Amino acid sequence: MEFIKAIAEHINYVASVALFVIGLYTVLTHSNLLKKVIGINIMETSIFLFFVSIGYVHDGSAPIINLGGGRVLYINPLPSALILTGIVVAVSITAYSLSLIIKLYEEYGTMDIDEIMKLRGEGKNG
Amino acid sequence: MGSQHFPVYILLSLLATAVIIPIINSESFGKVKALIIATLSIALGLSVRTLQEVYKNGGYTYNFGNWNEKIGVQLVVDEFSAFMGLFIVALSFLIVIYSLKDIEHEIKPQQFTGFYTLVFILLFSMLGMTYTNDLFNMYVFMEILSITSCSIISIKRKKENYMASLRYLILNTMGSLSVLLGIALLYMVSGQLNMTQIYLTISKIWNLYPTNILVAVGFILTGLGIKAAVFPLHVWLPDAHSTAPTPSSALLSSIVVKVYIFSAYKILFKVLGQTIVVGLGIPTYITYFAAIGMIMGSIFAIGQKDIKRMLAYSSVAQIGYIFLGLGLATVEGLSASLFHIISHGLMKSALFLSAGSIIYYKEKRDLRDLDGIGYEMPITMTVFTIAAFGMIGIPGISGFMSKLYLSFAVLGANKPIYLAIILISSFLNAVYYLPIVISAFLKESKNRRNIMAIERLPKLMLVPMVIIAVAVVAIGFYPQIIMTLVEKAVPTFLL
Repeated sequence: MEFIKAIAEHINYVASVALFVIGLYTVLTHSNLLKKVIGINIMETSIFLFFVSIGYVHDGSAPIINLGGGRVLYINPLPSALILTGIVVAVSITAYSLSLIIKLYEEYGTMDIDEIMKLRGEGKNG
Repeated sequence: MGSQHFPVYILLSLLATAVIIPIINSESFGKVKALIIATLSIALGLSVRTLQEVYKNGGYTYNFGNWNEKIGVQLVVDEFSAFMGLFIVALSFLIVIYSLKDIEHEIKPQQFTGFYTLVFILLFSMLGMTYTNDLFNMYVFMEILSITSCSIISIKRKKENYMASLRYLILNTMGSLSVLLGIALLYMVSGQLNMTQIYLTISKIWNLYPTNILVAVGFILTGLGIKAAVFPLHVWLPDAHSTAPTPSSALLSSIVVKVYIFSAYKILFKVLGQTIVVGLGIPTYITYFAAIGMIMGSIFAIGQKDIKRMLAYSSVAQIGYIFLGLGLATVEGLSASLFHIISHGLMKSALFLSAGSIIYYKEKRDLRDLDGIGYEMPITMTVFTIAAFGMIGIPGISGFMSKLYLSFAVLGANKPIYLAIILISSFLNAVYYLPIVISAFLKESKNRRNIMAIERLPKLMLVPMVIIAVAVVAIGFYPQIIMTLVEKAVPTFLL
């Protein structure tokens, strides 16, 4: 019972670790480049969830003065502010990798890394 | 007065130039060149002044916008960061001068301005990572650096470049994410993002959370290890560094990889401190990976036929030397490692630039086509030979001195097994560098007509190479020039 309670209290952390592992598995096992990018996005989301969860205070309100209705507990705004920057970075990396994938698709006619490697090998031998 | 703002001026001038370059009319490449040279000269002058000020008045911290360090972003300008900032600016100045001519050969004219915009953002983020004293700021600079360093590879618009830079980007992103997770774990323990503040908090409470800190350092070092190409994580490096345009490969191999090592120093010795790091036994593991990398990088390099690919694998081995010095966690080890960062930066840029000149002039990249090239391009091959001898460790060249310092550090830490590994790695270096030198100077080319051709390379490409080669030899004979500066920088990490 203690164990289940501990998990229920830290469900954010458990979820973020699960997402991280799902993302990593997707990046490592799928040969489709688009799926690799999706996997990276899942990993990014998991870390954002983790970071924001650190700043959460139970029963706290948004850190705006005179909005909490007399409550004195505020959540820690710093991790949320940092993750805004993190999201911007994640979007730009996604955009750049997608543009590279489009270029690769134009050159090779496929998005599958194994097939691209096969085509490159044939080009070298022939 | 005002001299404490100099590092910020350097950063801002680089960023401003990156913004201004695309605005300038793209047909007037001369104006762009003038702007590039002017900005880099200003940055170089300011870096020299910063270093002088730091030696005169001691290091200081700089709060952005006067917010205090608990909520604001802080730069730390001390003996280490001012010296390394100067190193980055000076070496990239030489590489950029070389690139002004070479880049015409590598990429399309419409992309010149784009290339220099990226190079300036790259320099900006590297200096930012060197100066910053804030973990999250470090992460942001790291992401800027990874995007720009991938784009200066893919700017060449060839099939191989797209593939190499996509692979680099994916691994780089996974590295950054793992660094971010480590930062989150450190923030969980300490509630701070400023490195000095974390150090103060963590040194009191680290006994309570040893696992948490160990996991955090594990994630951060794995991330930085991917980016710095420590041996088992180096898979992206050979493709990325060999397909990139020559100035990009020189920048990537001699400076960009080193900046991640600076971050590793900061995390290990500034954020956690020597007591905790040694107490958790982290440096021992670093030395294992470093030793494997020193041997395996050289073995992979022996099998290569492409000259730039061989140089890229050689970088993997040399990164091993740097991490070996870091992993000893002693004052001698750290100074040897810092010394080798500088000497490898100079030697590897000389090697890449001379290899680039051979490709520029002969359009050949295959090692077997280099017979007798020493007579056609005497100055280029002399530069190549000096740097290659430095990599092997022939006395009189800076590479020898860094190996000597590293050997003394290894013996001082009472780990003689690593001395044997340094020796084996040096022999392996000789196995792949010497045949090039021998075939360049002693073999006869099949279709050579005249006895001795005059070097026909543009002056703009020759001068930076010669300056770097002279510096390499000068440091080899007078290592004290660099070592006194390094010895002042080390106490910012270890006492």
